[in-house]
Amino acid sequence: MLKTATKPTATKRSIFALNESNPLVPYLYLVPHAILFFVFFVYPIGYGVWVSMHRWDPLNTISPYVGLEFYTNLFDPNKIQAQFFWKSVVNTCIFVAWSVPALVVVALLLAVQLQKPILFRGFFRTVFFSPGILSVSVVAILWRWVFDNGNGLVNVVRRDVFNLPIINYMTDENIVWLPIVIATIWWTVGFNMNLYLAAMSGISQSYYEAAELDGANGFQKFWHITLPLLQPTTLFVAVTTVLASFNLYGQSVLMTNGGPSRSTQSVIHYITEEGFTNNQFSSATAMSFVFGLIMLVFTVIQFRMMAKDVTRSRGN
Amino acid sequence: MTVQAPKKTPGFRLPKDTLRFVLLCIQALIFLAPLYWMVTTAFKTDGDAIAQPVQWFPANPTLENFNIILNTPDANILRWAWNSLFTSVAYTVAHLFVACLTAYPFARMKFKGREQWFWFLLASMMIPNIVTLIPLYIMMIDFNWIDSYHVLIWPGVANVFGVFMMRQFFSSIPVELEEAARLDGANSLVIFFRILLPLSVPALVTLGVFSFLGAWNNYLWPQFMVHGDMLTLPVGIGNFTMRYGIEYGKLMAGATITAIPVLLVYVFAQKYIEQGMTLTGLKE
Repeated sequence: MLKTATKPTATKRSIFALNESNPLVPYLYLVPHAILFFVFFVYPIGYGVWVSMHRWDPLNTISPYVGLEFYTNLFDPNKIQAQFFWKSVVNTCIFVAWSVPALVVVALLLAVQLQKPILFRGFFRTVFFSPGILSVSVVAILWRWVFDNGNGLVNVVRRDVFNLPIINYMTDENIVWLPIVIATIWWTVGFNMNLYLAAMSGISQSYYEAAELDGANGFQKFWHITLPLLQPTTLFVAVTTVLASFNLYGQSVLMTNGGPSRSTQSVIHYITEEGFTNNQFSSATAMSFVFGLIMLVFTVIQFRMMAKDVTRSRGN
Repeated sequence: MTVQAPKKTPGFRLPKDTLRFVLLCIQALIFLAPLYWMVTTAFKTDGDAIAQPVQWFPANPTLENFNIILNTPDANILRWAWNSLFTSVAYTVAHLFVACLTAYPFARMKFKGREQWFWFLLASMMIPNIVTLIPLYIMMIDFNWIDSYHVLIWPGVANVFGVFMMRQFFSSIPVELEEAARLDGANSLVIFFRILLPLSVPALVTLGVFSFLGAWNNYLWPQFMVHGDMLTLPVGIGNFTMRYGIEYGKLMAGATITAIPVLLVYVFAQKYIEQGMTLTGLKE
């Protein structure tokens, strides 16, 4: 605590004074962030628009103007970029469709089990959350081994414990998403679980006591009390998880490298391949803008859903 | 997982909590099994790793995999770990500083354009990161920052999320403390450093832990911005999948080396991470 003597100094009226009398003070605090924000965020977006409308080549000093060519290419079914790009969009949507419901439901199930006090509750929380702090490369390397076609943990258990035939998880187009989705659940579900636990701790016990008096069983209490009261949390968890899943990159790159035959190549993976591997920086930028727009539409729809949800729950 | 419903017969009735506990133990085992599999494989010889029937515990434990991984001439793991540590710490410090500096006027001062600029910053959070990846890469070439520490530290420092979080926290600190100091002649810098920051330690630690983990585990950005000895640990280890293919003993040794330090840090920072999640409710 400050304990200076009572010596009210006269406020200096100068542009160097750091008090309210100087109208510049707030802006001085904002300058560092504003500079970095412009240089590394606002300018790159504008520069990206320019790059996507020129043919930018790292080995060439001139970048001829091509207009919207790289954008129209993406809507021309004869162009290889269009085929690969939209395939990667579909792939990413498949991943979103599998991973998001699983990440919401499993998180909720784990949280319900840890809602009430139990022996070693903190330990269980730690176990379910801790994979979330690992880097994606560790997660991917580990799960590639767990689902290895021949000697992975899953196949070893199938073979040695249950006497079942081995499954080629990593090379069968029909089930190759399974390892990627399971690895993602293992990696990130603890985060959603913690959000649910935080929300549950805010639910008043009196609801449950009242329900018990009415003879409600555990499932009824969950279905009629917990679940409806958690609805805003569920929406929030779903929204953040959808956006996170759209950013799929490391898991599929490191587990399957987008294969077999591009069936697990995510959009971001394809954009980086087009940019950094094929040196088609302008084309890749155009793709990132189109995909960014798709994601933005999702974000806006979901923000509006959340806003609606908040208004509705306030109205009640 | 199917579990027999507890019988209603009084003598056989399983107490509910015990059932819940057993169920949790099974799930915890499922969550821990991959990590166990990783660590034990790291200590197996290549033959033992794929032996039939499976070795649940390494029959001939060996440190050979670690030895090879740590002594591969062109895979300087200790250097990568240092790169990750140094750039993550530098990023975290810079990010916290800039975020607090920016959050302060938004929380505490009136000035022209405050609302507009704040909404502009918030709206920018809706723009997905992928949009700036390629243009930023070209800029990094022009800056001559490829394969330097700068490229891993600066581009993310102006992250708006930190500003938003610190503004919320500063707003919750009573104004009276500030007014008393101002009567004593303290200027805004003194108030910032001597009053607001010391009171914000919980929020700073939370944001710090999140920034550090985010930077430490970042994969997409450093993968294209740095190479060779300048690589970060996650990217370097990720490249091992290309190098060692299916030599799982070595891959798991690399993964173990990368995973154990963060898991240990987590055990100590756990309190703040869980607090922070409740406080922020957002992932980065």
